[in-house]
Amino acid sequence: MDKLLFTSMTGASRAMQSQAMDANNLANVDTIGFKGDLQRATAFAVQGDVFPTRVMTQVEGVGSDFSKGALMTTDRDLDVAIQGDGWLVVQDANGNEAFTRSGELLIDASGMMRTRDNLPVVGNAGPVSLPPYEQLEIGIDGVVSVRALGQGPESLSEVNRLKLVNPDIKQLAKGADGLFRRRDGLVETADASVHIIKGALENSNVNAVACMMQVLSSARQFELNVQMMSKAEEMDRSSAQLLQLN
Amino acid sequence: MHAALWISKTGLSAEDDKLNSISHNLANVSTIGYKRDRPVFQDLIYQIKKQPGGQSSQDTVLPTGLQQGTGVRTVATQKIFTTGNLQVTDQPLDLAINGRGFFQVLMPDGSLGYTRDGQFQLDSTGQVVTSSGYVLQPAITVPTTASTITIGSDGVVSVLDAATGTSSQSGQLQVSDFANPAGLQSMGENLYRETVASGSATSSTPGINGAGGVLQGTLENSNVNVVEELVNMIATQRAYEMNSKVISTADQMMQFVTQNL
Repeated sequence: MDKLLFTSMTGASRAMQSQAMDANNLANVDTIGFKGDLQRATAFAVQGDVFPTRVMTQVEGVGSDFSKGALMTTDRDLDVAIQGDGWLVVQDANGNEAFTRSGELLIDASGMMRTRDNLPVVGNAGPVSLPPYEQLEIGIDGVVSVRALGQGPESLSEVNRLKLVNPDIKQLAKGADGLFRRRDGLVETADASVHIIKGALENSNVNAVACMMQVLSSARQFELNVQMMSKAEEMDRSSAQLLQLN
Repeated sequence: MHAALWISKTGLSAEDDKLNSISHNLANVSTIGYKRDRPVFQDLIYQIKKQPGGQSSQDTVLPTGLQQGTGVRTVATQKIFTTGNLQVTDQPLDLAINGRGFFQVLMPDGSLGYTRDGQFQLDSTGQVVTSSGYVLQPAITVPTTASTITIGSDGVVSVLDAATGTSSQSGQLQVSDFANPAGLQSMGENLYRETVASGSATSSTPGINGAGGVLQGTLENSNVNVVEELVNMIATQRAYEMNSKVISTADQMMQFVTQNL
């Protein structure tokens, strides 16, 4: 039987896998701070003792698309977006630092500042914890100051400063929980040049139209490959007929 | 069968949730004291099919891996506690809180409910109650012969007796505040219930220690921004359509296979 069938099969399954990745990007078209996943296909030739015609294909992830998403103003005190390059730092489930650009922050019952997935937000002086406050201000450089309950405007005091970092994006990889970390595991130092915008959120950076086109073009490639499979079957059938005795 | 089917399905349900909360917000655009909901989305876990940095041989490592996302989920709907616009009604028992805090009312089951809806009324015994008939706490009883009711910014309720022409105090309102109002549980009827996430209520005199003062003859409108909701609705609809397009494309691919092989 001709191995064309198997070559086409890798093509078809690559189309399916790449479509699944595009579907994931598209499903997250509304997720605040989401960075789309990039992919590429690579060819690898299968060497045999015959003429080298068998080139299989496989999908590889090549990391994330670090372009910026659109800013949406929400006017909520605890919504922050990073202006330009940079990341907020959170403490992940294992207590290590991880980076995110999703700035939908909240204050829990004990005054800890957390992200929407309940991870503590890290400041320059450890996780940010706030006293009961009447008014909260987050400055452009991440300084968090509060006016405590019952105090006048003269008592506005600095509590902590959000740790803002700007690692080289080549060093960053997305983890299974959707947070970014340095590949080498080093602790990133705060970068004073990263600025935030208060009362705004950064939407997903997925380009819905481009993604949709990718999905459709993968579908056509898939169909082409399936067509090749049915051709392979036809060829097999004809050669079987040639050898029939009557 | 095809991962994209399930991934896009998560996208559809998330957009569905979003449309629900948008329509809920729009329906409550003129509900006094309503705080808008915002769905919070999060990407689901990633399946690592090939570990980046894994050894491809003894001396070489894979420069990139393959991580496949599995979709999106709605982790929460968040109440946005920004202040709504104030509306002057000149009704003596229409109250608004200028700043932080909630009115406390006694629920039929004996627990306390919290609300920013200040449309209070009197019941047959002269007690101040909400539109649902729940008694404001601490209970304030206005004499049946009262002609005018005045409520100060510190919550002191004074009434002028029509029969005797004398003024007397009927009690003082309290407001409750929470460390994390977004953690309150919505119960409908414009009421919220205390939870572990919100922290326990601290009751204080209006206008003191950071609690908001009481404004008489004023109501706090819903904080829903209609234009923002409509823009969200358009974006949600298109995102929904695109996700369903992926499903139908994946479906066609499967159909193509069954027809051609």
